[in-house]
Amino acid sequence: MDAVEAVGLEKRYGKKVEALRGVDLSVRKGEVFGLVGPNGAGKTTLIKALVGSLRPSGGRARVLGLDPLRDRPELRRRIGYMPQSPVLYDDLPALENVEFFGAAHGVPNLRGRAREALRFVELEERAKDPVHTLSGGMKNRVSLACALVHEPEMLFLDEPTAGVDPRLRSRFWAAFRELARGGATLFISTHLMDEATLCDRVAVLRQGRVVVSDSPREILRRGRTRLRVREGEREEERLIGGRPEDLAEALRGYGLRGSVSAVSVEADSLEQVVLSIIGEEAG
Amino acid sequence: MRRTLIVGGRVLRQLRRNPRFLVLSIVGPLVIVYFLKLFFDTFPEGFDTGRYAVPAAAFIVHFMAFLLCAIALVQERTAGTMERMFVNGFRRAEVIGGYVLGYLGLATLQAAVALGEVLWLFELDYDADALAALFAVVWLLAIASVMLGIFVSTFARREGQVFPFVPLIILPSVFLSGFLVDVDELPGWAGWLGHAFPMLYANNVIQEMIEPGGALADVWTNFAVLAGYGAALLALASLTLREIE
Repeated sequence: MDAVEAVGLEKRYGKKVEALRGVDLSVRKGEVFGLVGPNGAGKTTLIKALVGSLRPSGGRARVLGLDPLRDRPELRRRIGYMPQSPVLYDDLPALENVEFFGAAHGVPNLRGRAREALRFVELEERAKDPVHTLSGGMKNRVSLACALVHEPEMLFLDEPTAGVDPRLRSRFWAAFRELARGGATLFISTHLMDEATLCDRVAVLRQGRVVVSDSPREILRRGRTRLRVREGEREEERLIGGRPEDLAEALRGYGLRGSVSAVSVEADSLEQVVLSIIGEEAG
Repeated sequence: MRRTLIVGGRVLRQLRRNPRFLVLSIVGPLVIVYFLKLFFDTFPEGFDTGRYAVPAAAFIVHFMAFLLCAIALVQERTAGTMERMFVNGFRRAEVIGGYVLGYLGLATLQAAVALGEVLWLFELDYDADALAALFAVVWLLAIASVMLGIFVSTFARREGQVFPFVPLIILPSVFLSGFLVDVDELPGWAGWLGHAFPMLYANNVIQEMIEPGGALADVWTNFAVLAGYGAALLALASLTLREIE
């Protein structure tokens, strides 16, 4: 059984606005699934439909085998949800926010577990500070701690890294991987394409429809590579397929040994370059 | 019940961490009652100020408790914490019950302070039974006002949308409750409409209890209606509060 199954999921607001136009997707248990799309693509609407806080206009969805609306008491025990932008009680300390959402689930040893969740997001030392005194990135981390305090089987994170600097973003992704290693399934929305490559599988959402759903590697294979070769004064440019085999084939004409069957080149993303520069400066 | 207490505890902790809000919501009624005193001092001697001052104190508590609770709940919706509570498994009745518990303390304090100041400033002297009945009815009105605030908040999606309800709910309370105008002098439909507002029942009790020889036995049904009014609003609010968009 898949962790999430959605078939023809629709959401209309009035007659004109169609936020979701028949979304089909499946998420396997234990994977880090990315929902990628520009702002206004319907990512938040889809997440709200899956966590049972929005009634779809059509289609059906199953999360952990449960109907998000009919079975919501059980579903809500088993999932964690981090809304877009940190939704917290600003005047309460970070720890009390985490405890409040944990208490809803009857978490045993609540104080200890809430502290553990804050330790996981590296904010234990700010546990007693009111949320309004924390930076935007710290609030995001408190919000994540609130979503995982009851150790849910599945986490829905709506743009958890929006407005977060590159260094913190990579810490977030390390945390997501750690949660996945612990057995949790993660459903993460983002409008950043480079984050999609960090997921096991992604669905690209555009204007309320899934345009493509696959592993990032498979999606990249469908792309084309622009090959430019300069030899003496002569420069040649052509488009080849995105697979490593296509590159090897193209280079054979320039004398690549016949025994080399695949060549792939992986350049750092802009984010990786910036991170390594920060790392060098830090010393 | 456990989760109702959790929400109530959180609302109380938030109130405690907002000293400015707390002070204003107590000082506000005090200042208004003082202005009321200045206003009544311009009246000729021998004017029965008690007939107006005590219901005016009740009205101030009614207004403040209604507005503060309505706005706090709408803020939960606009901030997204309401949705987050629901996705974390809190149910509608638990959220509403928690708010009632949280604001109960504040409403009690407001009732005691406003009534105490009116009695002191206007030098009103009632026997212990009358005083107990007056406090009880203002307190019950405050609770009904909290419920009314919760009920109204379920129709507003933003703080600004609460304000159109203020004159709609508050002004009829003044004019149709018998506190300024004798209800019997009003057209039949207006007198009937007055029964939809909790202030009418509170005023009935107050007018009876401040009369010499007033007996609680004559007005106890008003107590019952006021309590029923609060309970009915609570039930209605738990139907109108939307858990799913």
